[in-house]
Amino acid sequence: MTGLSLGEKLFIQGGIAQDLRTDGRKRLTYRPIYVETGVIPQASGSARVRFGGTDVIASVKAEIGRPNPMQPDKGKVMINVSCSPTAAPIFEGRGDEEVSAELTITLQRCLLGGKSGAGAGIDPTSLIVVEGKVCWDLYIDGLVISSDGNLLDALGAAIKAALSNTAIPQVQVAADTSGEDQPEVDISDEEFLQFDTSGIPIIITLTKVGRHYIADATMEEESQMSSAVSISINRKGHVCGLSKRGGAGLDHSVILDMITVARHVSEVLLNKLDSEISAAEAVENEL
Amino acid sequence: MEYVSPEGLRIDGRRPLEMRKLHAEMGVVAKADGSASFVMGNTKVIAAVYGPREVQNRSQQMSDQALVRCEYSMANFSTGDRMRKQKGDRRSTEISLVIRQTLEACILTHLMPRSQIDIYVQVLQADGGTRSACINAATLALADAAIPMRDIVTSCSAGYLNSTPLLDLNYVEDSAGGPDVTVGILPKMDKVTLLQMDSKLPIDIFENVMQLAIEGCKAVATYIQEILLENTKQLEYHRGV
Repeated sequence: MTGLSLGEKLFIQGGIAQDLRTDGRKRLTYRPIYVETGVIPQASGSARVRFGGTDVIASVKAEIGRPNPMQPDKGKVMINVSCSPTAAPIFEGRGDEEVSAELTITLQRCLLGGKSGAGAGIDPTSLIVVEGKVCWDLYIDGLVISSDGNLLDALGAAIKAALSNTAIPQVQVAADTSGEDQPEVDISDEEFLQFDTSGIPIIITLTKVGRHYIADATMEEESQMSSAVSISINRKGHVCGLSKRGGAGLDHSVILDMITVARHVSEVLLNKLDSEISAAEAVENEL
Repeated sequence: MEYVSPEGLRIDGRRPLEMRKLHAEMGVVAKADGSASFVMGNTKVIAAVYGPREVQNRSQQMSDQALVRCEYSMANFSTGDRMRKQKGDRRSTEISLVIRQTLEACILTHLMPRSQIDIYVQVLQADGGTRSACINAATLALADAAIPMRDIVTSCSAGYLNSTPLLDLNYVEDSAGGPDVTVGILPKMDKVTLLQMDSKLPIDIFENVMQLAIEGCKAVATYIQEILLENTKQLEYHRGV
C-alpha cells in the first residue's frame, strides 16, 4: 500500500536507530491524542479518537438480553471492528475482513479476559439484572475511518473512552422473579448508571524496526516492521493480554524487556488519555 | 399518527418547510485525496475520494474517460437498533449506483482518460435522508480532491404527510409510508440529475413536493458554496498569499 523507495526506507530505519523519527518524535513518544465523546447520540456511549492521521470511532450499545445458561451470573460483551473503505481503498467490499477480524480478535483477547471472564476490563457480573434471567448485553463496535498506523492502540483507547461515556439505564424488575417465565423489566429513561472504567486496560503496541522498537508507529513505519507486540496493561500495571504479530522471531528476553518498557509507556499514555477523556466530557456537558 | 400538529409543527419541532441543521467540514480523512463530512440533523456521513489514479482492474480501463466507482456503507452502530448486516446488500448496492450515476454526470471524466476515481461514503448515523447527505458529502469530497466538475451536485428530499408537503424528512417521517421524493440538482445549470419517489402522489401535488425539494437543494447549494469558499480562503491563508 505504501510504496516507499529504498532511500525512504533507509531514512525511516536510520531515524529510528538514532531515536529521531521522520515526524520528529522519539522512539517511545505517541502522536498527539484527540478525544471526542458522545459522537453517536443514538448509542449508549461513543467516542472518536485520533492519533495523528489515524481516526477511529467506538460505540457501545446496551441491550437487554438473557445470560448464557453456562454462566448465569454474567452479562455478555461483544466486540466487533470494521474498517471503512474511506480509510483505504483496499477495504472496499470484503477487502476489510482479514484486517477487521485480526483487530477484533486481538481486542477481545486484550479487553475481555479469559473464557470465565476473569481478568476482564469490564466486570461481566456487573451487567447482571436478574441472575440467570436478565442481563445487559454490551455491543462494542469499532469503526476505522482513517488509517495511519497503530489502529489497535487507537481502537483500545476509543473503546475505553466510549465506555466511560456509556450510561446504562436503571432497571426495575417486577417483584416476582422466582417463576420460570422471563421477568418483566421496566427500563428507566431518567436514571442512568455509569461504569467503573478504571480497570479497563489500554493497549500499547511496540513495533520492532531493525534492532529497536517504537511506540505508535505510522503506516510508513509499520511497513518496515519485522514484528510487533501488543500488550494490554491496566492502571495497576498488570498485563491483561498480549499478542504478537509479524513474521520475525523475537528473543524471549526482548519480549520481557518490551513488557517493562510498555508498562512505563502505559503510565504516561493512561494519564494523557484520562485527562483527554475528562476534557472531552466537560466539553460535551457544556453543549 | 399525527406528523404535523394543529399548530403546524412536526415531530422534531420543525415547521413543514424547514430543513434540519446543516453542518459540513472538509478534509476530515487525512490519508484520502479528498474528504468531507456532512451532517443533516442526526444524519451523519463521511465521504472520501481516492484518485484520479491508475485503474486497478485493467479490464475496466477506458481510453476516453475516467472510471468512477462508488461504495456506500453503513456502520453497525448507525441505526437505532444495532444491526449486523453484511456489506454489499441490495440496498447499499442500489444507493452506491445512484450516487455514482449522479456524480458521474457532473465530473469532467473526459479530462482524465485511463484513470479511476473512487468515492467511498460511510454512514455514521442514519436518521432519514442518507442518500441526500451522501451526495452532498461526496460533492464536497470531490471538490476537496480538486477533481474537475461541471457544477456541484446537491440533494435534498421532501415528502407529503397529513396533506402537508414536508421538507427534508427524518427517519420517523420517512418510514411513515408516505411518498419520499429525493431530488438532486446542478444548481448553477439549474438541472435535475436525480429524481426518485416511492409510494404515490396526485400529479399536481407531486409538482409542489418536487418544487419544495428543489428549493431544499438550492438551500443546500448555498450552504455548500459557503463551505467551499471558506475552505478556499483557508487554503489561501495557509499558502500565505
